[in-house]
Order: sequence, then structure tokens, then C-alpha cells
Amino acid sequence: MSARFDRRSPEGKLVAGVPTIDAIVERLQQAEREMPDDGSPLYAWGFDPLHIGGKMLSRHDLDRVSTKRPVLVVHASFHINNVNTPTLELAELLRATDISGVVAGPDGLASGELQGIPARLRLFRALGHNPMAGGIGDADVLRFASSACVQGVTTITDLHNDLTDPTIEVYRRITATDEFGVRLVPALAAVSHTPEQAIAKLETLRAHGNDKLHYGIVKLVVDGSIQGFTARLRWPGYHNGTPNGLWYIAPEELPRTVEAYHRAGVQLHIHTNGDEATQFALDAIEAAQIAVPRPDHRHTLQHCQMADAAQFRRMKNLGVCANLFANHIYYWGDAHYELTMGPERAARIDATGTATRIGVPFAIHSDAPVTPLAPLFTAWCAVNRVTSSGRVLGRDTEALSVEQALAAVTIGAAYTLKMDHLVGSIETGKFADFVVLEEDPLTIQPARLKDVAIWGTVVGGIPREAPRA
Amino acid sequence: MKAASATIPVTVIGGFLGAGKTTFVNRLLASGGSRSAVLVNDFGEINIDAGLIAGHDGATMTLTNGCICCSIGTSFVDTLSRVLDAQPPFERIVIEASGVGDPWKIAEIALIEPMLRLERVIVLADASRIVALLNDPQVGDTVRAQFARADVVLLNKCDLVDPARFFDAESKLLGIFPLKKIIKTVRGEMPALSELGDATPSLFVADSPEPKAIDHAEQFRSWSYRRAGAFDRRALTIALAALPPQLLRLKGSCRFAGEGGSAVLQLVDKVWSLSASESGSTDCGIELVGVGTADLPPASLLDALLDRALATEAVS
Repeated sequence: MSARFDRRSPEGKLVAGVPTIDAIVERLQQAEREMPDDGSPLYAWGFDPLHIGGKMLSRHDLDRVSTKRPVLVVHASFHINNVNTPTLELAELLRATDISGVVAGPDGLASGELQGIPARLRLFRALGHNPMAGGIGDADVLRFASSACVQGVTTITDLHNDLTDPTIEVYRRITATDEFGVRLVPALAAVSHTPEQAIAKLETLRAHGNDKLHYGIVKLVVDGSIQGFTARLRWPGYHNGTPNGLWYIAPEELPRTVEAYHRAGVQLHIHTNGDEATQFALDAIEAAQIAVPRPDHRHTLQHCQMADAAQFRRMKNLGVCANLFANHIYYWGDAHYELTMGPERAARIDATGTATRIGVPFAIHSDAPVTPLAPLFTAWCAVNRVTSSGRVLGRDTEALSVEQALAAVTIGAAYTLKMDHLVGSIETGKFADFVVLEEDPLTIQPARLKDVAIWGTVVGGIPREAPRA
Repeated sequence: MKAASATIPVTVIGGFLGAGKTTFVNRLLASGGSRSAVLVNDFGEINIDAGLIAGHDGATMTLTNGCICCSIGTSFVDTLSRVLDAQPPFERIVIEASGVGDPWKIAEIALIEPMLRLERVIVLADASRIVALLNDPQVGDTVRAQFARADVVLLNKCDLVDPARFFDAESKLLGIFPLKKIIKTVRGEMPALSELGDATPSLFVADSPEPKAIDHAEQFRSWSYRRAGAFDRRALTIALAALPPQLLRLKGSCRFAGEGGSAVLQLVDKVWSLSASESGSTDCGIELVGVGTADLPPASLLDALLDRALATEAVS
């Protein structure tokens, strides 16, 4: 399922969006009919109530799909699940509405919306397994590479990975094959390691790298998401009065962690959505630079969606890069305007114009799978700054030209990964990596940028026609 | 799922970074007693006498006294699932919450997992800095939330502060949480679980999540909204989503532009429903009454939010 918006599958098939509850139920019914009659669970992913006017899928909606098998719809954010009544009964959650993650419906029983650790534990134990756990296999990694080819991507990040031994082995084996047609840049998740462990692990991982596998970066997550109201905001906080969000790393711990990696020469990619999280990340980097001055560290703030001009000026002075979440303008721009930030701050969300004027090196991104992988769509978002309802957010001050947006998804991204000497532009001495487009994006109307068809990619001189299904 | 013959008591240990959670866990592990499974965030600071360690595979440390200590790693759900599946079952489960996490979110597991029952939530505080933490503009909200549902507060490191400082810490905590049981502790002399009083069930059970004996007038504020006009259905959806979470309930009758009759609106914790009015009265316009927490934004702001949903042409 692809919820409100169209998505293209790794095999190149266009999956149309389902813009209403009825359309979602109908799509799930189709899928259900194709399943064996053995009571096995039906899983779907991609729902977001903010995309369909705040409407939630209830257990009654999902009961229309099946009352014989568990039906579980995972939200686009992965944080929330909606399930049918049989699943609630199986997990003994139908009456457990006093638990904070079990949302009550109008009848006082569970509505089917579940989130948080307690509800998830019950859900997965009732289903017998965790559908979102389990290692990745060769086929998964090849599908990932195929998605990249379909969307014209030649270097792709995997920006939060525990890099367990089985994953490392799959990556080592698959990336060395000719079949794997993309350069992969995994970031080691700091949350599952102490800095000492992570630094030692990166040391051993260097031996596993090859032309299509580039280890070395570490990901820190400071706060949550803006649309989930878990990002940390400075005054005046959330527009609708929701209390401030969550710290995933304590502000006092951040300088120690940043300094440990900075001292070891590691490049950090730091997730900060809210502007308070951005402020503390910048404070930590500044302290680390004072303690251990390091030229050209290129620590990069990931998302950095609410930074104001003063924060971009600090980034410039500290040598910090940004990877701005341009797709948010389209997918959640209306929610930011109405609920989370209000008109003024929503107008400067993902401030690519400010970054350009101040001279902060930046890329723009989709955060796939949170929004679909499609760099030309991401570039279109940064050029047009229009929301899904047609509202324009800060185009006068923050929009990029098509040339600037294409630079952001190529050489800009390569720079933030310290790979601009290898990829990101077509030059003698660099890999022969490029996307083959059916039209010249510089001669069409900027409003059509997202519609430019992709023939395929060339990676290391080897052309690959995108699969079409 | 097979019903467990005996439920396993769960103790959750919370507290901000540096409060002494790991010291407490070390003491629990060393003292043994029951066959406990102890889930911790990080082995790094676990400091057990080497003679007590029977095995260590990187994620689980097995002790000679029958206890195990598991590193939570990246998936709390998967780690706890493994502990629940152990045969024979453990006699007690102790879970260390993360330093920035809310221990109650962990404790709720024991309220809905049939194999478990919640014994108590222990939250530690460092007497030398708890006042500063509670007042901190960045982490004050996180720290406060950690204490909200603690059964026992261990005011730790009391050996490091002078009596005046200790008094400040204790009165600050009691000022915010007047009903809490506070135990004064020093590093190196932490109490065992059995010394924290009877293993009585938590004060906060699933069906009464709020402690008793609270002055409701101070805890809640009400708000009423009356208008002669009618709502636009689509605009109302947006306006209701924009209402702040401090508004717990909203109920009353309303009308919609271009529709006859009136409807009953009910909103509980952001989930709302509309039903046809039983009374059939049509001339009352919009009358809604809301209840929220003490920090409910002013009525003028709430009025303005709902006014956005009013249909531009008033129905005659």
C-alpha cells in the first residue's frame, strides 16, 4: 500500500495513492483476496492520517478487510500501528485503553491505533514475532539497489544502521558483485554503541569497504520528529500548544559524545529536527572544535528543519553542513503551517535559500522510506516549495533555482559525505556515475521537474536500464 | 498464548543520568536472593565481582547466583520477549529505564502483559543536582515526568551535600509531588529491594491511573464555547485537530451549515465523534463545554481556534 501518494516499487511499478479511508480499505481487500486462507497476518505500510485530513483508520475499517486474520497497518513514520478487532483480541488489548499507547475509540474500547513499547510488545507476542525485526538478506539489499536505479540514484546512504555482524557480511558480499549497481554509504547508529565501541568497530569495518561500500560515518539522534510533536523546539514551541518534545540524547551528554567522535576523526551526522536540538548540537560541535580543533570535519546536521538564519551563520562559522528535508514541505507543510510551527516558521522550514545565501554546504533529502526515494521530486520540492494542498511556503526567500537544486542532490550530497572527490560531478578522475534522463531538466518548466522520466543509471561506467513493471 | 501460572513481579528503575541507577543495579545483582533478570541500557558501567560471573556472551551476563543481566541493545521489545520466554520463568524482572526516558512508559508493560505484574517504580535523584535539574529549561520537563508516577524516590548521594542543600532537594521534590515516599540514600549503601517496604502492588494500577486525594479544582480547568452560528464540517475537522492536548474532553451540541437538526460532539484525548442529537432541538446554535489540565491555554485562544471552523454564512 502507498497511502495518500503514489510510490514506485523497486521493480519500477507505479503504485497509485489511496486518498480516502474507503480507498485504503479497498486496496487492502484486494491484497487480502490474494492471500492463502490460512489466517496468516496481512501487513501494510505507509499510512499517515495527516495526509488524509486527520482521519484515522479504525479497527472497524480494518474489520472490513478481514475478521479472520490479523490486519496490521504500519504508519509511514513506523511509530504507530493500526490493527483490526481480531488482532486486539489476540493481544488482549481491546479493553486496555488506560495504557497510554492504546488509543480509545468513541465506544470506549480500543480504536485499533497502537503505539509505544507496551502495546508493541503485546502485539508482537500475540502475532508470534516482530514483523519489523529480523536481519536483512541478499535479496533485500538488491531490491534497495534496484529502487535506486529506478529513481536515478547512483550513491545512496543508509543513515541509521546498527551494523550487526550478519548485516556487515551481507553488505560485504553483495556490494562486491556486479549485480549491485549503486554505491552504499551506511552510517553506524551511535545509540547501540558507546563511542569507544563505535570507533573500534569503524576501524575494523574499513577492511570491509570497496568501491561500492563506504563505511566511516556515525549517526547521532538528538530529538524526535516535528509532525510527531517529539522534536525539541525553542520558544515559542509548538504552534498548537503541545508540550515540548523528547531528548533522545541528554543535552549534557551530547558534548561528551560529540567530542569523543570528533577527537577520533569520525564524521558525525546528527539528527536534529527542532531548533532547540539544532542549538545543542551546534554548542556541542563548537565545544569539540575548541577542545580539539579539526579542519574540514564536515559534521552534518540531518533534517535541521527549523534552523533560523543565526543558526545557519553558526553552522557556516563552525564548518558544519546541513542535509535539509525538502520533501517535508510537500508532505507535511500544511500540518506545519496549521499545527506544529504556524505560518512564519513554516515559511522558512528547510531553509535552502538561507543556507545558500550564508554559504552553508548542504544537500536535500527524502528520508526514504519516510517519504519516497526520488531525488528529482526532492529537487522539485526545494524549487517550488508547495504543499500537498497547494499552499506555497516561503518561495520568495527560500526556493532554489533548478540548477541549485540539482547541485544539492549531486555534488552537495557528495560533499556532506566527504565523497566529493569520488562522486557528485562528472569529472576526470572520479567514478563514471550518472543518471540518464529522458528530458533536459534545465529546459523544462520548473513545475515539471518531478515528472522528468528516468531511463536508468550508469555506475562505474556500467549502464543499467531501470526496470519497468 | 499460554496463561502463566504465577505472574512475575516487575520493578522499574528510573532517574536522570548520574542519579545512581547503575550503582543500584550493581547492588541488586550482587545481593542475589531471587532468580532475577535485570535489563540494563549499557554493560559499560556494570561492575560485578568477576567471581560472580558465570558467563558473558556480549548481550547477556549470567551470574552464579541465578540472576542474569541483559543489555537492552536496540530492541527493547525483542530483549524483553526473550526474557519472558525463558524456562523456567524468572522470579523477578528489574528494568533500568534510560536516563532521558520515562520509567512509567516501561512500567505500563507490566500492566498489560498477563505474565507480569507491576511491583514498583523506583526513581533515583542525585541530591546534589536535582533542584538544578528540575529547574533546567531544557531537561526540567523530562526530569519532572520521570517522578510523576514513582512509588518510591531514592534521594541519593546525600553524603555529598550539606543539610541545607539536602533540605532544598527534599522540599523541592515534596513541593511538586506531595504524596511521594522519599528515602534518603548514600552511594555504596543502597537499600535492597526487600528493604523498600512490602512488595505491595503499585499505587497506580491499570484502572485508576491517577493517585487519589487530589484537589481537582487545582488540577483541572473548564472552558465553555457558545456561538449562534453553525460549523463548516471540513473546517471543524481541522480546528479540532488544532486544539491543544491540555484539553482532555469537549462535549456538547452543535449545528452544521446547510444541514438541519443538531449534532452531539464528543472529544476525548483528541479522538472525537459526532452523533445525531436525541433532543431534536434546532435553535440552540453551538454549545460546548470542555475540561482541561491546569495549564489549559486561555479561553480566548481556544475560542479563536473553534471560531475558524464557523461557517461564513450564518444559518437562518
